[in-house]
Amino acid sequence: MSDRDRNSGLLGTVFAILSGVIVSLAVGVWALGTPGNDPVGAAAVTAGTFMEGKFRWLRAEPENVPQDWVEISKTVRGGDPQRGATLIAQYGCGSCHVVPGVARAHGTVGPDLSGFRDRAYIGGVLSNEPGDLVDWLMNPTTHAPDTAMPDLGVTETDARHMASYLYTLRGS
Amino acid sequence: MGSTLDQFGSQTTFADAGIGAARTVWLTNSMSIISLVILAFVMLVALFAWRSTGGGRVWWIIGGGIVFPLITLSVLTVASATTLRSITGEAQPEAPVIEITAYQYWWDVVHHSEGRSLRDANEIVLPLNMAVTLQLKSNDVIHSFWVPSVSGKMDMIPGRINELTITATKEGRFRGQCAEFCGLSHPLMAFEVLVLPVEEYAAYLESLDEDARDAVTPQQRRGKEVFLTSGCTACHAVNGVSENGRLGPDLSRVGARASLGAGMWRMNRGNLAGWIADVGDMKPGAQMPSYNDLSGPDLRAVAAWLESLK
Repeated sequence: MSDRDRNSGLLGTVFAILSGVIVSLAVGVWALGTPGNDPVGAAAVTAGTFMEGKFRWLRAEPENVPQDWVEISKTVRGGDPQRGATLIAQYGCGSCHVVPGVARAHGTVGPDLSGFRDRAYIGGVLSNEPGDLVDWLMNPTTHAPDTAMPDLGVTETDARHMASYLYTLRGS
Repeated sequence: MGSTLDQFGSQTTFADAGIGAARTVWLTNSMSIISLVILAFVMLVALFAWRSTGGGRVWWIIGGGIVFPLITLSVLTVASATTLRSITGEAQPEAPVIEITAYQYWWDVVHHSEGRSLRDANEIVLPLNMAVTLQLKSNDVIHSFWVPSVSGKMDMIPGRINELTITATKEGRFRGQCAEFCGLSHPLMAFEVLVLPVEEYAAYLESLDEDARDAVTPQQRRGKEVFLTSGCTACHAVNGVSENGRLGPDLSRVGARASLGAGMWRMNRGNLAGWIADVGDMKPGAQMPSYNDLSGPDLRAVAAWLESLK
C-alpha cells in the first residue's frame, strides 16, 4: 500500500469523524434550543411504531386477529353507556319502558327494553343497528307516524350515549 | 331552574332556609351540647365517688334521682314548648294566606290574594323573607305537611284547618314530603317549594290569574281537542279552557312546574305521555284512570299541549 493511499484513508476517517461530530452538535443544539422538542426521539418513536406494526403483521395469524363482528356491529361511535343511563333517567324513558339498571324505570306503556341488544327490530319498523337506533331515539314519529312514543327533542350526542347504554342490555 | 330531583340537600333541616328550620337546628344543637356537658360532669363525679369512702347515699338518691331530673325536664319542657311555638309561628293577620289541601296523593294549592283564589298544584311558591300563613287541610285521610328545609311539620286532618306560619329566608327550590302514611303511594307524594323574591312572587300570582297559553302548533291544537273530548275536564281545570274540574290538580301552568306526579318525575313530554297512558303503574292507587285507549298520535298531542302550558 502506498503512502498516498494511507494518507487518503486517514483523511477520510478524520473527515467522517469530524462531520459526524458537527452534524450531531448541530442536531443537539437544534433539539435543545427548542424546549419540548425532541426530533430524534420522535423519529425513533415513529420508526419504532412503524416497525412494531410490521412485525405484528408478520406474526399475525388468522385466528388471533380480534374480529368480533357482532361486537363491532353493536358499537355506537362516541357513545358513553354511563352517561346514557343518566340521560335515560332524565328524559323519562322509564315512565313507559322497563330499563334494567335505571332507577324507577318500570313503565308498562311501551315494550320492555331488557335484552335490547338481541332484539331484531326497533319499534317494529327499523332493524336493530346503531345508526337506526340513534335515529329512532331522535325522531321516532318519522319512522312510525302512528307510534305513541313522543319525539323528546333528543340531540344526536345524547341519542348516541343512550343507544350505547341500550346495547349493554343483553338477553338471557 | 331544574327540579329538586337532581339536587342533593334540598330536603334537610340543616341547610336551613326558613325561620322554623333555623330554630329546630338551634334547639337540637343546644340540647346536644348541654347533654354532653352534663355527661362529662357525671363522669367526673363518678371518678371522685370511686375514690371517696361511704356517706351521703341518701343525698345522691334525692339529688340525682329527683332534683336533677326535675330541673332538666322543666328546662327542656319550656325550651321545646317555646321553640315549637316559634316554629308554628305567631298568627299574623296581614300575612298572605295559602290554602293547601292534601289529596291521595297530591296537593291542591290556593293562593288567597286581594280577594282572589288563585289555584296551582304540587308546587308551592313562597315569597322571600315574608311570613306566610298556611291553612292545611285534607280531603280524605290524615296527611302531614313537611318542608324540612323551611319549617317544622304539621298534620293535615280531614275536617280541620291547621294553621302554620312559615317564613322562608333563602331563595331557591326545596323539597317537601307527605310525612304521615296515607296509602299505597304515600312515598310518591312529594312537592316542590320555590322561594322567590317578593316582586317575582307577585308576578307569579298574576300569572295564576291569567288564562292558560294558547295552543299554537297543529299538534297542540289537536292535544287541546283531545283533552276536551276525552273526559279530562271532569277532574282537571285549565284556565280559559275548562274551569270546572276540581277532583285533580289544576293544569293551567302544568308545563311550568319542575316535576310531574307530585314531585316525583321530571316535567317533560315523555313523562307526561307515560303518565297519561298508565298512571296506575307510575303511581299505584292514584284516582286518575289510565288513558291507554288514546291513539298514539293523540297521546303525543295531549302531552305536547300540556307541556306547552307554562
